[in-house]
Amino acid sequence: MASPAETVAFLREVRLFKDVATPELSVLGDSLRERSLKSGQVLFREGDSGEEMFLVRRGSIVISKPVTGRVEQVLARIGPGDFFGEMALFDHAPRSATVQSDSDVILLVLDRAGLKRLTEESPRAAAAFFHALVQVFIERLRASGDLVAEVTRWGLEATGLDLDAR
Amino acid sequence: MSETTATPTPPPRRAQLELLVRREDEGFDVRQIGSATAFVQSRPQRVAAESWELAEVASRVAGQRSFFLKNTTTDRFLLLTEPEKFLWEQMDGRTSLQDIATAYVLRYGAFDFDIIPALIRKLQRAHLLTLTPTSRLRQALARNRRIPVAKALEIGLTALERINISSRNVHRIFVWMYRFGGFLLFTRAAVVACILLGIAGLVAGVHLWRDAETVVSGFGGHALKAVLTVKGLFFLTVAAHQIVHGLALVHYRRRVREFGFTFLHGFVPTFYVDVTDIFMASRKARVVTAVAGTLVHLVLGSLWFLLAANAPLGSFTQAFAATSGMIQWQALVVALYPFCFIEMDGYHVLVDVLGVPTLKQEASSWVGRLITGRAPRRFGRQEQLWAAYVVLSTISVAAFIAFNVWIIVHAVS
Repeated sequence: MASPAETVAFLREVRLFKDVATPELSVLGDSLRERSLKSGQVLFREGDSGEEMFLVRRGSIVISKPVTGRVEQVLARIGPGDFFGEMALFDHAPRSATVQSDSDVILLVLDRAGLKRLTEESPRAAAAFFHALVQVFIERLRASGDLVAEVTRWGLEATGLDLDAR
Repeated sequence: MSETTATPTPPPRRAQLELLVRREDEGFDVRQIGSATAFVQSRPQRVAAESWELAEVASRVAGQRSFFLKNTTTDRFLLLTEPEKFLWEQMDGRTSLQDIATAYVLRYGAFDFDIIPALIRKLQRAHLLTLTPTSRLRQALARNRRIPVAKALEIGLTALERINISSRNVHRIFVWMYRFGGFLLFTRAAVVACILLGIAGLVAGVHLWRDAETVVSGFGGHALKAVLTVKGLFFLTVAAHQIVHGLALVHYRRRVREFGFTFLHGFVPTFYVDVTDIFMASRKARVVTAVAGTLVHLVLGSLWFLLAANAPLGSFTQAFAATSGMIQWQALVVALYPFCFIEMDGYHVLVDVLGVPTLKQEASSWVGRLITGRAPRRFGRQEQLWAAYVVLSTISVAAFIAFNVWIIVHAVS
């Protein structure tokens, strides 16, 4: 279990909190709880309910989406300092993908109550947090588009489908 | 003098998918699967045996065997070489492309790396014959949609193209027409009658040509109305042309899949009949089917000329009949003349007799390669044929344009 000082030091390295001052990070740190996963352990599956986002403190996470049978497509790999599951903070929809650890992992968990506390106690810090979050959303949206294009290209190459000549 | 060396362009990176495969023990493996790996391990599956037909076409030019492969469900055709036919036969849904390639090497002792992907593309496309082709004009308009005029033109052409009045349930009508008189068109008597009419029409036409100015003067002040009526009547004979093609199919016990009216490329109103089923019949059947339709214009043109020759000199009837005859014979020539880069009936007869169904495409492609210096320095029988086709077609098109320019200049002066 990390000390509050270690947690604040870690949060300072997280992109989401780069513009949040240290005192406010301490407040946020109090709202976070730690969770560990063994290598290969599933944190949640697509369709599960949830209301937390996770920060990866140590280890590696694989986010995937079931395709067929036991095969899933890897959507992203998440490492230390990165985060996932943030959509559950804002909507009440089921989880959109499955998350599992690729190694022994330590996560920090932020739930809706913790986010609400940050918003109420430090609106400025919350604004900085949301601003950083939107920037990451945009990057991920772009990456999703690239992934769709890559998967389409894969399909065309794998099937030999020639659309140029059509 | 310095020597420059071109840096070879690296091949495009193959796409990769990262897949997570769950194990029985709740664990998982993450695997990178390249599209190339997936391609060689795929197991192509041809359609069910009752959904395709294969017919051989013997080439008289290169001595090669070719095959028409027909999808009887969609009525689409492919032309396969003998090696492609071999590959097609391997595509049973159980054999991977890797194994098919191995079988190919064992059979032919060498491997062409392009043949399998190219064949797969052909099989996937299966659009060798289509009644609604995408024209280059449409492609050019699509590229220039930002220009309002081009966009408006494209919208207009698309709207016209959508006008397609057709039926796929016409075979029984053609069978009925064949039974109640259509069969007479495919008898020796009909051939003799056609020849005699042709000769009589030619004689009448030459006779009328001598008095051309007097004949045309018969239109008097109604030239525009008359020409429009002549064109309208001619348009109806295009339907007759297509109907005779359909009757030929029935004569050779093949099926008429479709008959209808559409705007070809969005601006050429035309009747059409789907004669693709004749590809499965003999060469003679294909040639007869192609020629039979065009003979409608020979017969009608001759009849119009005979009528004109027997009408009072300088009368409206004579002018109308002579013009109609001229248009019908023009249509005959245009339909039968194979060297004009247009795939009309005469072209189909030519390629069928030669046993080279893709003559225009191959010849055009070869000339393109020749111009860019990519064609091998070989001038065999096939290359001679391609050269002859392109040269004759180019000269014909140039002569046609020159003739029309001459007519316009002559008329203006």
